[in-house]
Amino acid sequence: MEHCGAATAERQPARPVGPGRGAPLVALVGPPNSGKSTLFNQLTGLRQKVANYPGVTVEKRLGRARLPDQRVVEVVDLPGVYGFSARSRDEQVTRDVLEGRATGLPAPEAVILVVDSTRLEPQLMLVEPVLSLGLPALLVLNMSDELEKRGGGVDAEALAERLGVEVVRANSRAGVGLDRVHRFLAGVLDGTVKPARPPRPFGGGPRRLELPVLDTYIERRNRIRRIGQEAGFTEPAPSPLTDRLDAIFLHRFLGPLIFFVVVALVFQAIFAWATPLMDGVEFLVASSGEWIRDRLPDGWLRSLLVDGIWMGVGSVIVFLPQILILFLFLGILEDSGYMARAAVIADRMMYRVGLQGRAFLPLLSAFACAVPAIMAARTVENERDRLATIFVAPFMTCSARLPVYALLIAAFVPERPLLGPFMGTRAATLLGLYLLGALAAIATAFLLKRTLLRGERTAFLMELPPYRVPTLRSLGLRLVDRSRIFLRRVGRVILTVTVVLWALMQFPTVDGAPPPIEESILGRIGHVIEPAIEPLGFDWRIGVGIISSLAAREVIVGTLGTIYGVEEASEGSIELQAALQRNLDLGGAVALLVFFAFALQCISTLAVVRRETAGWKWPLLQWAYMLTLAVGCAYLANRIF
Amino acid sequence: MSLKGDAAMSCPIDEVGGEGATMEAIEHRLEEIPLRQVVELVRIDMPEEGMVPLLERGIVPGCRLCPIRRSPTGDPILMVDGVLIALRREMAKCMCVRFAEEEN
Repeated sequence: MEHCGAATAERQPARPVGPGRGAPLVALVGPPNSGKSTLFNQLTGLRQKVANYPGVTVEKRLGRARLPDQRVVEVVDLPGVYGFSARSRDEQVTRDVLEGRATGLPAPEAVILVVDSTRLEPQLMLVEPVLSLGLPALLVLNMSDELEKRGGGVDAEALAERLGVEVVRANSRAGVGLDRVHRFLAGVLDGTVKPARPPRPFGGGPRRLELPVLDTYIERRNRIRRIGQEAGFTEPAPSPLTDRLDAIFLHRFLGPLIFFVVVALVFQAIFAWATPLMDGVEFLVASSGEWIRDRLPDGWLRSLLVDGIWMGVGSVIVFLPQILILFLFLGILEDSGYMARAAVIADRMMYRVGLQGRAFLPLLSAFACAVPAIMAARTVENERDRLATIFVAPFMTCSARLPVYALLIAAFVPERPLLGPFMGTRAATLLGLYLLGALAAIATAFLLKRTLLRGERTAFLMELPPYRVPTLRSLGLRLVDRSRIFLRRVGRVILTVTVVLWALMQFPTVDGAPPPIEESILGRIGHVIEPAIEPLGFDWRIGVGIISSLAAREVIVGTLGTIYGVEEASEGSIELQAALQRNLDLGGAVALLVFFAFALQCISTLAVVRRETAGWKWPLLQWAYMLTLAVGCAYLANRIF
Repeated sequence: MSLKGDAAMSCPIDEVGGEGATMEAIEHRLEEIPLRQVVELVRIDMPEEGMVPLLERGIVPGCRLCPIRRSPTGDPILMVDGVLIALRREMAKCMCVRFAEEEN
């Protein structure tokens, strides 16, 4: 085997295996859609932690696997990759972890490579580089039940012999093969598993993943083909169901039609189904808040706990129903295999504006909330496309804007039929606002691709997995996972900002009670910025509302209620609408709508963009750009109307 | 070959075999191949960097492809080694193939 100057790699010292040394780390690696994460979940259950690798935005999934003899192994579920050429962050991180260079993680002591056995040969392209690391390795042939059901097969022992590594047949969904994996892990703990002995010439060197060129790939593919033949691999017959369904879902006319129906359904679910749940959450938070208020002595501490912190917590939790419903649908679409087809249909549309098919999913999610959408943008492989997706996602009319829209539309747009019984002026205005956001997104993507994110058109390759029925378990775990991430990442920010705003409104106290809003710190800030926002048709009250909605856009409704002295302020409140009508003219109202459509006022979004782009450059640029656009267009709107 | 920018997606003209060339020797672009016809990949006319997503998945010169259908937007969907892969037609234009010989 060639030596490739491994001395240059900075490595964490390998931890000696043995009692009292802490659990050793085993890395799970494999292509996407190989069932790797299902195996990870089977091994670790809910004993998982999700964080970020420091400095980058790839998620680190660590878990503890408890063996039948109660011993423990740390397992890291690496991102699904097809190679290690480090074209994407996912690949870079996977490389770093496998080579022992990831900060915060020890060098893995063993590696488990998981592949989808129904697509064996292409997926084995990863075997050579992984085995060349020289670590104890286990090859898991997943989906073996499907392989056999479709008339395929492989001789696992022969494959093991040819590759020089232990091979296990598995079906992770059903837990088949899990005992063999446990046995392998026990062997790693005992030190009885020997490093993989791949036959020459697999190249690389101890703990180095070489960067191949075209010829390497060709040779590798031919070697895999030969090994596959020698191991008696029979390709499974193509799934007839998949073929039949694709004839419908990718049909020239039916395909896009079904696509739009699915999109509309997801939309409808997010708005219609989520609403009663969100109302329920709000009710619970408000009534429990009252309960707390009754039990505490009067004073600013009580106000802090109830109006600041508890309401802040409430304003975080209220997002959960929408996020859960959204990710439930996304999970069903993705696990069933339909999502890949949808991305293919959407691709050409997105390609025209400089994005790609995989960006459609995140951008769709942004109609509910930009925060999970930006998190979902990681599925876009190319860095430039991913940044463009993240940058334009907040333009999509998120659900937090709806209360504001609803309030202003109710106050300023008289209801009249426009398209007969199908659509009235109010619904048309709402739709217009949605379109405005989408158009701004497209224009911005276009602009980005011509300026900051200029680059070559990327290869778009979409693998279309066979259609499968999603399992409840994987859907459930996905929901738990996403909720945890959301609550942890975003919850903290919203809570902090809510408390800060509470403080701005609470002080300076007048006789131990909060001051009238004009004299609070927030009110004073509103007065200070008034000259700046007057050309937009706003006064200091609206200014206060805008600042306070930095925490969460819909907070403005409650804040405006406070400012105008309206009890039980909500978007349907006639009193509040009347107060607004007195305070704003039509131009100002339209300007406010436009301002909300464009301005990036959501601290949570900024926080997530910062996380995902590993720095402040992009979120600040995004914020400045959107603010400029918002102010400019609001000014124009005020002049026109 | 290192072509930059959008030009990377366009390709040189097909090389046609000389007189007496048999059908197997004639190269076609993948884009032109009729559906359900098995072909063999001869070469990919793209800068090496752009090819990597194909290569990593084992789609290398010498492997067999079969266009199964076209997406509603006209992009080809291929079956390669039991895997269904959707490509943009710009990429398919850069893949030169020839009709596969009979399997023995």
